[in-house]
Amino acid sequence: MSDIRTTPPGSAEETVVPDAPTTPESPGSWDTRSEEVLAEAALTAASDADAAADLRGAGTPGAGAPGAGTSGAASPGDGSPGVAAPAGAAPRSGAGASRAGDVPAVKGKTRKPGARRGAVDPVKALMHRHRELCEEAVDPLEIAAGLEAHGVTDRTAARFRHRDVFSLAEEMYARASRDEETAPVLAPPAPVAGPQVPVGWAAFAMLPGAVCAMAVAGLDLTSGTAKLVAGLLGALAVGIALKVALRQGPLRVYGRQVPATRMWTGILLTYALLGEGLLDAILSGGPDGPWALHTAPVLGLALAVAPAAWCARVFAVQSARTLAASRGLDDFAAAVRPLLGGVFAVFLAVLTGLLLATGAVLGEGTRGIGPALALGALLLLARLLEVHGFPDAGALLLGAACAGETLALATALGGRLPGFGFLSAPVDSVVAAWGPGAVPVLVCGGAAVVLLAHSMRRLTRASAHAEAVR
Amino acid sequence: MRIGLLTEGGYPYVTGEARLWCDRLVRGLDRHEFDIFALSRSAHQEEQGWIQLPPQVHRVRTAPLWTAEDDGVVYGRRARRRFAAHWGELAAAVCAEGGEAADRFASGLYGLADLEREEGGLAVALRSEAAVDALEKACRAPGAPRAAREARVADLLTVTGLIERTLRPLSLDWYEEVEGGLGAVDLCHAASGGAAALPGLLAKHFFGVPLLVTEYGVQLRAHYLGAAGALSAPARALLAGFHGRLAEEVYRQAALITPGNTHARRWQERCGADKAKLRTVYPGMDSSRFAEIGESAEPADPDTLVWVGRIEPSKDLIALLHAFAEIRKEEPKVRLRIVGAPAEGAEAATYLAHCKALAAQLFPDEAEGVHAVGDNPVSFEEIGSPEVPELADAYGAGGVVVLSSVVEGFPISLVEAMFCGRATVSTDVGAVVEVIGGTGLVVPPRNPRALADACLALLRDPERRDRLGAAARARALELFTVDQNIAAFRSIYLEIVSHHPVRRDALDESGEPQPFANPAEVYVPGRWTAPGAEERSGAGERPAGSGPAWAAAGAARTATGAAVDVAAAADGDAGAEDEPVGVGAAGEGER
Repeated sequence: MSDIRTTPPGSAEETVVPDAPTTPESPGSWDTRSEEVLAEAALTAASDADAAADLRGAGTPGAGAPGAGTSGAASPGDGSPGVAAPAGAAPRSGAGASRAGDVPAVKGKTRKPGARRGAVDPVKALMHRHRELCEEAVDPLEIAAGLEAHGVTDRTAARFRHRDVFSLAEEMYARASRDEETAPVLAPPAPVAGPQVPVGWAAFAMLPGAVCAMAVAGLDLTSGTAKLVAGLLGALAVGIALKVALRQGPLRVYGRQVPATRMWTGILLTYALLGEGLLDAILSGGPDGPWALHTAPVLGLALAVAPAAWCARVFAVQSARTLAASRGLDDFAAAVRPLLGGVFAVFLAVLTGLLLATGAVLGEGTRGIGPALALGALLLLARLLEVHGFPDAGALLLGAACAGETLALATALGGRLPGFGFLSAPVDSVVAAWGPGAVPVLVCGGAAVVLLAHSMRRLTRASAHAEAVR
Repeated sequence: MRIGLLTEGGYPYVTGEARLWCDRLVRGLDRHEFDIFALSRSAHQEEQGWIQLPPQVHRVRTAPLWTAEDDGVVYGRRARRRFAAHWGELAAAVCAEGGEAADRFASGLYGLADLEREEGGLAVALRSEAAVDALEKACRAPGAPRAAREARVADLLTVTGLIERTLRPLSLDWYEEVEGGLGAVDLCHAASGGAAALPGLLAKHFFGVPLLVTEYGVQLRAHYLGAAGALSAPARALLAGFHGRLAEEVYRQAALITPGNTHARRWQERCGADKAKLRTVYPGMDSSRFAEIGESAEPADPDTLVWVGRIEPSKDLIALLHAFAEIRKEEPKVRLRIVGAPAEGAEAATYLAHCKALAAQLFPDEAEGVHAVGDNPVSFEEIGSPEVPELADAYGAGGVVVLSSVVEGFPISLVEAMFCGRATVSTDVGAVVEVIGGTGLVVPPRNPRALADACLALLRDPERRDRLGAAARARALELFTVDQNIAAFRSIYLEIVSHHPVRRDALDESGEPQPFANPAEVYVPGRWTAPGAEERSGAGERPAGSGPAWAAAGAARTATGAAVDVAAAADGDAGAEDEPVGVGAAGEGER
């Protein structure tokens, strides 16, 4: 190590001491006279445009402000002070001038013609350079981290007469937030796209309707055993199409699912297809042979998958927008409640239209509209709740509706047993008063009303829409 | 002793971040047992598998941090009330400042941990409306930061989601005292701060296991850099509050903290770490690869500059090329070899292409004579190519190694150059000055002129080059070897365990606590091996700092009395009075 210490006399290395971050000893650029000189300098000079000029003026040895040459390689306490001096020396001549805006490279009173601009306030220049960082920062440490990421070290901070980057950042933060108070900048909420859906989901949403229409046509064209086969195949195809449509769009459930929901849905749809005729047949003493199918409501419901998906999408996107704009949870709930109601009403209206159309086309008239409407409302609400992370209530009420309908059939059948006539009395009176469609209307409608009330509480909570922002 | 090594997204996964030093540490300390508790960051990381583990690793327990398990627990009314209280404390601490906030944060955090340990269901609760609601109240409370007061609903949801993610270690099943749990280790060593240190905090809270935290990069700083631009200002303010409090609590509870360099140390001090707990332990690096180059006597090619590293914008190769243009004006024979592959991502590849274009623009191809095929004075090479088969060859290729980064953490390529005994010119960023310590030249960043001058000074002075190279190698061998790193951790482990022994209640075969299995003097500080010796030697010989003299005298008396009592209970074992520990063991054996 000793040979390192003996540097040749007369070399630049001897004259330099390592630049520890200390307070400048000479007034440097910051006495009153120099400030007079500097006062003319425009702040705009701090832009990077004249970085080239920096380099031209940089060759002058000693042009840097005190403490500016960051060539001192010795860190205090590293145990090799003897090595430090030669190491730090050589680049000194070139290192005096630093990067644009870091420091005014004006020494004392003499401002050389080639020398660069000086800012009155070096920190202000630094803030201008990192203005985005300063404006956006939420605390001084964030500015410190950002400054360090831009290469500012403690030795750079020493040039701004700060002990370290932290205290420099604190000053910048304090000044930036003071500026902000005079001119508050409120960032507008970013445009919200809503949750991601695959391209072409609308086409998928129309798939069940199309498949169901084909299945109904197949049923119409066949008879006997072929009709049975066509019916089974059609049911299978509609089931698959429904599954595909639900997995590829706004109705997809990412969170927890209750497996029973699928079964309850299947039973309810089967009842819509067969149940009314069966009940009619049972009450009139049958069934004697195959009873009437009601394909129009099922076709209408299959076609309604598309509007249901669209409604779910509108609800998700609009609620995500509301979410981004709302200031408080109560505001959010108040804004989403009418949205949910509106979307639900639109769905009901569209479903009514579809059911009227299918009834007219298939010649079944308007008698199946009520039950299908109630069932459609129930299914949409259950699915919406499931999509937003509350699968339990939907499963429960779908199950209850199933149980209600099955009970109606069972009691109607049970009333035939001798001595148990009282069992079929309620169903009998309901059917006598409003027709066989009244049973599903009452059961599904009741469940849908309960579920609507539940949705109004659950789906208007912000936590139900958390996936939109995560 | 048994050490619980806590990692997050690192060891023992193949793609882990700090796997190298953890691996060296575990292999180096083969007298200790290691239980590894690893949190994984992604499914991809888990698929990549583990690295080969040495036999001193007894057990590896992993848990995903990237997915939440819904344990299906729904809180009852009491649990709901407890959750609201603790989460409210935590949220209030996140939005407040000052020393009181740290206490509130701790009480909230440990309250949630206790609740989770008893009831479960924390993940669901943190995603519930009640959690968002409590955070909103905390944001609107007086004294909250201005940015937090402007939080919108979307910000609140984002923040609760991210906090829930960070708090996932609370829901793990690691906190048990049986074999394989965190309660059974003597010392928890967290390989980084943040989420990795959370299990350590809980082990300390539940079982009193001391915690050692090693941070090569400060998690809080990484959080600030990661969050900038990605999140809105209110969300950043809230998360900064949370991570700041968490870091503070980790530093407060840690028995010792070992930053990897002075830069990390300054950040830790800033975040509230007690200076007395900080021990800088430089990362150890394998020096044997570079021994041949470092010790060879033949001089390196005096006209070649070498840059080694991963190519990315923060390395500022543009400045290096500009500096090299200056150098070429003075010394036309000099060549520059840039050795390294682009970092991951499209940005780095674009940057490399840009640098190559600039090099071609600045320096036309050159040839020896009219009939020779020329090439560019700047060459871009990768390790493994015929010219540079090994990393050490890259450093051996040139007389001067240059580092031109504008941003740098711990400059590994600089240390490698030091191991190779090369004179270096580097920019003053990150931990460079601390690493080089005067054995190389340092210039300001973004100053090609200064870089060129420094390189020229070294190129023209072979004697100085050799001198600096030798000094650099000596310094690196002293400070940055694996041995020094392992030795430091070995002594730190011993220091912690001697100051913070874990006190465990003895259990019988069925796992029931066994009262009086440990004699009372186990809990008495100081020496108590032989009652007679204790009285003879008096308090004078007691190790300093273990307690005042009057307490010592009392303690000695208590110890003796207890020893006699237990000896009597153990039916008069002959050697009992000399060895109180043996008494406990004998009593346990008889029962």
